[in-house]
Amino acid sequence: MSVRKLVPWMVATVLLVMAGTANAEPYLAAQMGLKCAMCHVNPTGGGMRTVFGNTFAQTQLAEKRIGGDDDLWTGQVMKFLSVGGNARANYNWEDVPHQEGTNDFDVEEARAYLDFGVIPNRLSIYLDQRFAPGNATNMEANVRYWIKENTFYVKAGRMYLPFGYRFEDDNAFVRQLSGINMQAPDEGVEVGLESGSWTAQLAISNGAGGGNEVDPGKQVTTRVEFVQSKWRAGASVLYNDTDLGSRTGFGGFGALTLGPVVLLGEVDWFDDESIGDGKLMATLAEADWKLKQGHNLKLTYEWFEPNDDIDEDEQTRASLLYEWSPIQFIQLRAGVRVYDGIPQNDNQNRKQAFLQLHGFF
Amino acid sequence: MPVGSNNVLAAKGFLLASLVLALAACTAGNGEGLDQNGQPIPITPPTASQFQEIQDTVFTPICTQCHIGANAPQGLRLDAANSYALLVNVNSNEVPGLKRVNPGNADQSYIVQKISGTAAVGGRMPLGQAALPQDRIDLIRSWIAAGAQPAATAPNNLTVTSVIPAAGEVAPAGLSKLTVVFARDVDATLTSSTFEVRDGFDQPVPVANAQVPQGRPNVVELKLARALPAGSYQLEIHGQGAVALADDAGHVLDGDADGVAGGDFLMSFDVSAGASR
Repeated sequence: MSVRKLVPWMVATVLLVMAGTANAEPYLAAQMGLKCAMCHVNPTGGGMRTVFGNTFAQTQLAEKRIGGDDDLWTGQVMKFLSVGGNARANYNWEDVPHQEGTNDFDVEEARAYLDFGVIPNRLSIYLDQRFAPGNATNMEANVRYWIKENTFYVKAGRMYLPFGYRFEDDNAFVRQLSGINMQAPDEGVEVGLESGSWTAQLAISNGAGGGNEVDPGKQVTTRVEFVQSKWRAGASVLYNDTDLGSRTGFGGFGALTLGPVVLLGEVDWFDDESIGDGKLMATLAEADWKLKQGHNLKLTYEWFEPNDDIDEDEQTRASLLYEWSPIQFIQLRAGVRVYDGIPQNDNQNRKQAFLQLHGFF
Repeated sequence: MPVGSNNVLAAKGFLLASLVLALAACTAGNGEGLDQNGQPIPITPPTASQFQEIQDTVFTPICTQCHIGANAPQGLRLDAANSYALLVNVNSNEVPGLKRVNPGNADQSYIVQKISGTAAVGGRMPLGQAALPQDRIDLIRSWIAAGAQPAATAPNNLTVTSVIPAAGEVAPAGLSKLTVVFARDVDATLTSSTFEVRDGFDQPVPVANAQVPQGRPNVVELKLARALPAGSYQLEIHGQGAVALADDAGHVLDGDADGVAGGDFLMSFDVSAGASR
C-alpha cells in the first residue's frame, strides 16, 4: 500500500485517537496516552518524527492547517528515505543582579535528520546533524534493527541515552544533573523493548560525555516505563565506572492527565565519587494546560541540591511558558524563567525571558 | 472530549497543578556560611589571584555545570582541582593546533575563542546559556596576556602533585606513557636518571625518555620503550642516592612527602588486559 493511500487512514486514526497537540515533549505523549515511539523513530523520543507523528502534527498540532489533503507531509521523500528537521530562533533577554541587562537574537539550534529505512520497519540507518550554532556537528549516527517488528530492537552507534523524560529544555536541572540531554550524545549499544503498556531500554556506552574514551570503564543506563492512557510511571538507573570514581544515579518519573491538564514529575538522585562525597538531587514538576487546540500554557518548578553535605546551598528554577502553533510545523513560544539560589552568587539569581520561533517537520 | 466544555475542568486542573507545585516546592538555600560557589567558607581564605577570581566567578559557578567529573565534555574538567593543569599549554581536542590556554597570547588561546563565539568548531561557551559578561571575558584575556599564572604560590619543597595513571588505578591496555605533575618546576637535566618503572616481578621496564614538555616545566612525561602488557607496575622517582631529582632551584625531591627534602616517591598501578583504544 502506498503512502498516498495510507494518508486518509492515518488522518482518521489520528483524529480518532488524539485530542491534543504534538511535538517532541513528554507532556504531549502523556496527553495522548501514547508511547514516545508512536511519533518518533527513536523509541525514547525526540528527533525525527514517524509518518504517524508527521501526520498528527499537521492534523492536530496546529490551530489550523493550511493546504489540501493531498499536501500532507509524511517525512518520506523516497520509498526508503525519510527526512526531518528542527530549527529554533530566539530573542533572549537576561537580567543578572549587579550587571547590565543583556538581550540578543540567536539560533538555538538547526538540525536535520535522515533515516534510511533500508529494510522497511526492520533496519534503519539514522543520522542527526546539528548545523547551528557553530559548525556542523554530528549528534546521532546509529544503526537500528528491529529483531521483532515493533517489539524488540538493538541500536548501535552514537545516540542519546535513555534516562528519565526527554524534556525539550536541556538546561532543566534534572537534565543537567544526569548529563543526558539533547546536547550530549554518547557512543555505545542500546537494546529496547516495546510490549503492551511497557517500554524499556538498556544502553552500554563509553560514558565519556561524548568525548574520547579515557578509561576502560563503561556506562550503563536503563529506563523502564509503564504507560496507561491517563497516567504513566517509570524509573531510570545510571552507573558509570570511571578511573576517577563511580557515578551512580537513580530516577523516578511519571505523569497524570486530568482533562486538558497534564502533570509531570521527575526526581533524580546521584552519587558521584569523582566530584566528592556529597550526594546530588534534582526535581522537576510541570503542569501543561491545553487552553484550546494549538495553545498550551506550561508551568514548571525545579529544585536542585548540589551537595547534601552542605546546608543552604539549594537552587530553584521556575518557568512560565506559552506555546502557540498557529499553522502546521510552526510554533511560537514565549516564556520567563526565574532562578533562585544563594544570594552571594548572582548567576544563580538571574531572570530570563525569551521569544522563540520553532519550525520543524 | 470537546475542548470548549473543558474550561472549568481545565481551570480546576491547573489550580490543582499549581497547588501541587507549591506543595512540592522546595525553596532555595539562604547561603548562610557559604561562599559564592556554595562551598563552606574556610577559616583561612585562599590566596586571591586573577586565576582564583576566574575560577570563582566563571569556571566553578558556570562552566562546571557541564565540565566536571568523568562526563566532562572533551575530557576538560574545570573544577578547582583540575582546571589549571588541563588548560595551560595543553592542546585542544577540537583544534589540536591551538592550545586551550597559550600563555601571553589570548587571541591564540582556544578558550578565548570558545567564550567569544569565534571558534571554528562547536558552539559558543557556555553552551545553551547567555554569553559570559564582557568583564569576565576581559578578565580571562588579561590573565592569559599576563602569562596565565596559577592561583597558588608554589610551596618551598618539590613534591609530586599527581600521576596519570593515579596510584591504584587500572590503566587501559596499551599504556605507553606516564605523566607526573610536580608542585614546582623540575630540573630537566636530572629526569633521565631519576625515574624507574618496574613490573610485578620487580624487573625494570625500559623507559625511552623522560622529558619535561615545552611550556609545562612542572610536568614530566615518561615514554616507555613499549606498551605495557597487563599486570602490576611500580613507579619510583629518586629523591635520594647518587642522583636525586631536584627542582630548578636545587631543592631535592621530597618523595615521601614528610615535609623534608629527600626520600623516594613510590606508587603502584595496574594495566588491564582489555583491548586498547
